[in-house]
Order: sequence, then C-alpha cells, then structure tokens
Amino acid sequence: MKNVLSKEVVIYFQNFSYSYPTKRNVLIDINLKVYKGEVLGIIGPNGAGKSTFCKSLNGLVPHFYGGTVKGNVIVAGMDTLEHTIAELSTKVGIVFQEPENQLSGLALTVEEEVGFGLSMLGFPRELIKERVKEAIEKVGLKGLERRSPFELSGGQQQRLAIATILAMKPEIMVLDEPTSLLDPIGKYEVFSVLKELIVEGSTIIIAEHEIEELAYLTDRILFLKEGKVISLDEARNVLSEISKLKEAGIDPPSITELTYLLEKELGIKIDKYPIKLSEAVKLYSEVLKIK
Amino acid sequence: MSSIGTSLLRRSVIVKETLIHKSDPRTKFIFFLWISIFAYIFYDYVLTAIFLIGILLLAMMGKILKRVLLSVAVIILPWIAFGVPILSVLFPWNSTLMFKLEIFGWQIPFYYEGFAWGLTWPLRIGVCITSALLFYLTTNPASLIALLFKFKLPFRFIYAFAAATQLIPLLVDEAGTIYQAQLSRGLRTDVGIIKRIWNFLILIIPLTLSSLTKVQIRAIALESRGFSAPVNKTCLYDIKFKNIDYAFFIGMVIFTLILIYIYIIYGFSPIVHLKQYFIAG
Repeated sequence: MKNVLSKEVVIYFQNFSYSYPTKRNVLIDINLKVYKGEVLGIIGPNGAGKSTFCKSLNGLVPHFYGGTVKGNVIVAGMDTLEHTIAELSTKVGIVFQEPENQLSGLALTVEEEVGFGLSMLGFPRELIKERVKEAIEKVGLKGLERRSPFELSGGQQQRLAIATILAMKPEIMVLDEPTSLLDPIGKYEVFSVLKELIVEGSTIIIAEHEIEELAYLTDRILFLKEGKVISLDEARNVLSEISKLKEAGIDPPSITELTYLLEKELGIKIDKYPIKLSEAVKLYSEVLKIK
Repeated sequence: MSSIGTSLLRRSVIVKETLIHKSDPRTKFIFFLWISIFAYIFYDYVLTAIFLIGILLLAMMGKILKRVLLSVAVIILPWIAFGVPILSVLFPWNSTLMFKLEIFGWQIPFYYEGFAWGLTWPLRIGVCITSALLFYLTTNPASLIALLFKFKLPFRFIYAFAAATQLIPLLVDEAGTIYQAQLSRGLRTDVGIIKRIWNFLILIIPLTLSSLTKVQIRAIALESRGFSAPVNKTCLYDIKFKNIDYAFFIGMVIFTLILIYIYIIYGFSPIVHLKQYFIAG
C-alpha cells in the first residue's frame, strides 16, 4: 500500500445508480473517488454489483446493456454517459473472468491478439508492433508470440488478456475477478503480473474473491452488498470488520479472523488486526512473549 | 487447452513451400474466378476437362493433389456415374441417337445431348471446386484475412468469417463435453432413430445456450477493445505481388486470348463440331 495517495481524481462516481433492463437496482447511489495510482479492491457476495461496477467504468453499462441510469461516472475526465465505449477504451481497459472467452477470435497468434485493440482503433502498424512487444515482455509471455492464443494455459491466457489491455496504455486498469477460473499456478502468474503493475504506479480496480491477495495488493477496499456501498476504506479497516464480512458471506483473511477469535478467546485487546502474514507473525510473537 | 483449440483454418491449410503457396492470394482468387467463368462460358466437356486437368496439375505443384482429388471425386464421380446414363436416356432435348442398349429385352436409346449435358456440368462444378480448393488450401489464414482487407470488405464480415473458423473447434470441443456429461448421466446411445433425434436435441439446447452466453462475453470483450470504433481498422498482415504472380497473370492473359479465339472460331460450344464429327461417323 502506498502511504501517500495522489490527489488527482481519475474516477468519480456521483450519485450513480443503475438498473439492467431485466434486473432493478443493481447499483444504488454510489459516491466515491479513486485517485491516480491507487489500487482499489472490490469485494462483496455474489450479486453485490461488483461486475456491474467494473462495467460502468468503460461505458459498457449502460451503452452495451441498456437499462436506466441515475447520476454520473467520470473517468479520466470523460463522462461515461457522453462518450462511446470505443472512446473510453483507451482510458479504461477491462480484463474479464473467462480467459478464453475474451480472446478476439480474429488473431492467429499471441502478438496479433495483443495488437487487436490497437488495430481496432486504427493505430499505425509500426506503433502496434512496438506496443505489442512491450506488453508481451511485461506480462512474461516472451517466447510465446507466435503461438495460437487458444493453445495457451488459463493463466497464460489471462496474462495475455492483461497484455492486450496494457498495449492500449489505458489510464485505468479494471480486473473483474481475473483469477476466479484459474488453477493455483494461473492465479500466481496473474497476481505476479499485477504486483509489477502496482509497483509501476498504475491505477487499478480489481474485483476479487481471493480476499487474502487483496490484502497485499490494494490501498483501499470497496465493500458492496446488494448494490450498496457497505464500506469504503483502507484495506486493513475493511478487512478487519470480521462480523460484517461474515454476515455478508465473505471469508476474511484467515490470519485476520484468527486474530479476531483469539482476541475474544484470550480476552485481550488488539488495536490493529494483521491482514498480511508478516504482520501476523510479528503480532503473535509479541502476544506469545506476553503470555 | 487441447489441440482442438487450434484454429480450423490453421489445420485446413496444407503448409508447404511451393510456388503455389508463395503466390499472392489475390492471384489465386482471380484465377479461381477466371477459370470458373470460362468453364461456364464454354459448354464443352472436352475443354472443361482440359481446364480440370490443368488445375489438377497446379494442385500437384502445390502438393495438395491427393486432398483436392478426394474432395472433387466425392462430388463429381457419383454425378457422372448416375447422371450421365440417366440424362443420356431422359434429357428433354435429346435428339441425336448415339446407340441403343438392350436391357432385359428393352432397347434403350442413348442420346448425345443428354450425355454431353450430363458430362459437362459435373466437370464445370469440378473446375470451380478444385480452383477454389487450390486457393483455400494454399493460402494461410493471415493472408486470407489480409485479402479480405484488401478487397475492402466490411470489417464485421471479415471478423465473422475469421472468427467462425477460429471458434468452430471450440464449439466442437464444448459439444463433446456436453455429450460426455449427458452420457455420464445415463444418456443411452443404443436406441432407435427417434430417440437418437431426441438425444441430438438435448445436446443442441445446452450447446446453444452456452454459446449465446459466450458470444455475449466475447462481444463485451471486443467492444471494450474498440471493436465498434468508427475508424479504418489496421490490418496486421501484409500481402505483396511477386514475380510468380506476374508470371501467372501473363499466363492467364495468353490463355484468355486463345479462348477468345476459340470462341470466335468455334462458338461457345466446340461440342457442336464434335457432334458433327460424331454424326459423320
């Protein structure tokens, strides 16, 4: 987590509410700001509105789905209601859950897949080549450039999806449960790439069920339930709300929950719950010494 | 991902380093149109057979002869085997008797018009199919996409064509998974035709539903990457005419002149003359 966040607002939700044509009140009165370089995690049970939140960032909601909207979402200075998805695609890049289903189907090789978005926007071929090379190196797919995207493993495909977005150099990256369909190796590969992007200072929004990973990756966490904001705070504060999380059917990080249970069991007061393993080791060492 | 995920196009193209493979897809496509048009202009089985042999020679040069022969044999041989005898007897414009054959005491007359019509049409279709296969089997998918871009076809059409060929193997894979799931839930295969049709339906319904869901997800992913941007898309592939293409074009021009000469001298059907020779004995 960065200690000092930038003051530049890149995402601004203003009293934003949304209903799909077939489902009402999926997001209700969302108000929040995301700052440049910030990593915002989104958690919540199924149906909380996490994916809809992500899709509202590049205009898929409402331009693709239709439905009714109240309020505004301003992304990189652009009102998503007033700009097309294509216009927003260079500002916001989205990586979805299913690695295979987000492959274009037109590209025959990995490098062509990475260049797909840029070619759709009519970028010159030389620039596309340059960006593709850069993005492939960044996600660690060097050496696989000539392979068919359909021949890659799930983890590699998801890294490819990230590369396709990186090549477009968006100001904001949105990842909608990018590891939910991956095996442990695939998850590790994707999180490794994300950690590097975070170090580089990218603005990232990530909806994720792997809550333990979010503790390591995010600056703040948005906790959604039934379309409403339950909490929006620093990752530690949100993940320490054990009973609130449990009530919503979300498992907090194991070490945080263990600390909560130990606090109750031992009758001691712990000011700051650990959300990372290193913090837990430090805390338990102190507690064990006392005991 | 299993190898079924590899594109159908990639597996269809026979990758070789021959002159035919190296030539520009536009040349092969124009050749396909050129020879198909001439096959239809001339109502002549001798000339059409010469066209077909010429294409088969090119297929041999492109090392795809076996595959082309197999494909064309499946289509035109049954036609010739059944169509030619039937038309020789029953063609409405039959007038020139070739011979009579005695079958079960019946004298069956065989006529020249029906014979010629019955032989010319499968050969014409054979010319179209073999020249199309020559183009398709020796053109890699990247060149094919580049060709569609060069023809300035609407991008949505190009995408539909390319994506269909890429995604069909995935659909086949999924159909296999659904079928196995149904089998493991007790779907019986040792049943009659009606039940088999029903089995097919219970495979098609989940396959259609899952395909629709996937199409929507893919559409969202494409839109997010600027698919609908109102700009000219950049084609990532390039194709260029080479010396072999110019040689091919010169060959086509020479043959066009020869065929025009034949047309002027003998008319659209040199068969007319063959028929005269036939009648003359």
